[in-house]
Amino acid sequence: MPEFLEVAIDKFTLKVASDRLYTEEGVWAKMEAGGVRVGLSDFLQRRSGDIAFVEVKPVGAHVKAGEEIATIETVKVNVSLGSPMAGRIMEINPLMQSAPEKINVDPYGDGWLVIVEASDWPADQRYLLTPETYLNAVKRLAGEEASGL
Amino acid sequence: MSEAKTKVVIVPCSGIGKPYGTVSREAAYIVTEELRPDQTQLIPLSLLVLGDPQTRAAVMENVAVTIDGCKLACSTKMVKESGGTVSKDIAVLDAFRQHRDLKPLGIAELNPEGLRLARVIAEEIARQVDELATDVTDSASPWKRESKHA
Repeated sequence: MPEFLEVAIDKFTLKVASDRLYTEEGVWAKMEAGGVRVGLSDFLQRRSGDIAFVEVKPVGAHVKAGEEIATIETVKVNVSLGSPMAGRIMEINPLMQSAPEKINVDPYGDGWLVIVEASDWPADQRYLLTPETYLNAVKRLAGEEASGL
Repeated sequence: MSEAKTKVVIVPCSGIGKPYGTVSREAAYIVTEELRPDQTQLIPLSLLVLGDPQTRAAVMENVAVTIDGCKLACSTKMVKESGGTVSKDIAVLDAFRQHRDLKPLGIAELNPEGLRLARVIAEEIARQVDELATDVTDSASPWKRESKHA
């Protein structure tokens, strides 16, 4: 179980897992033995709403950092998700087809999206946000939304 | 003297201002006004929340089909908290997942796809109502339970 940084905004407590890195848009990347696991942050899933469908690039597809790796369709919006790093998609979470709502329920656990074989993780991770930096971004964005800015 | 249950109460979510909530209410209108008007009764969730005695009695004395617009499932929770029996709980999002071409949009007025999704849900509820009706002679049927408000 990861530890979390938290911030309370309005009636919500937003969590940022402290054991991974983030893109500004809220896609997380966690280096593991078998590759880099990728998913959505708690803030991004809450902001997007209940997820109806997830479409992920197929296993074997190559992506560049920032290039679309998946799209989600929620009750509110369609969101294009950029890959946190360059690499080849090794595995897709099978729950994304059968139970995409897992992203809403457990964004840092069972709701992961894909595992990527990163082509240059040391280089790409330098452009990602630490949990503390991402938490500050969440505070700013959520605060703006809560105040209607 | 026991009183046989004679209606299925249809309880949509109140989700005012949200397309999926609007779909739930539209589906309830189609069932109660068009498809099965004699076998069903529309229950406004707001009256149930307010504890209106007649509304609570209707929920307690009849089986319910709930239609929820989001995962909070307010309709289902409220019926259960009111002592009612939920025969079937329908989530609009699940219905959309099965009919991806019917993406509901609009709030005050649903788009054509949203209206079609509401009809799909309404037809499913009508089938459920029919199944309950065929069970009415079964002593185990919830329709045959004694009224709690004799």
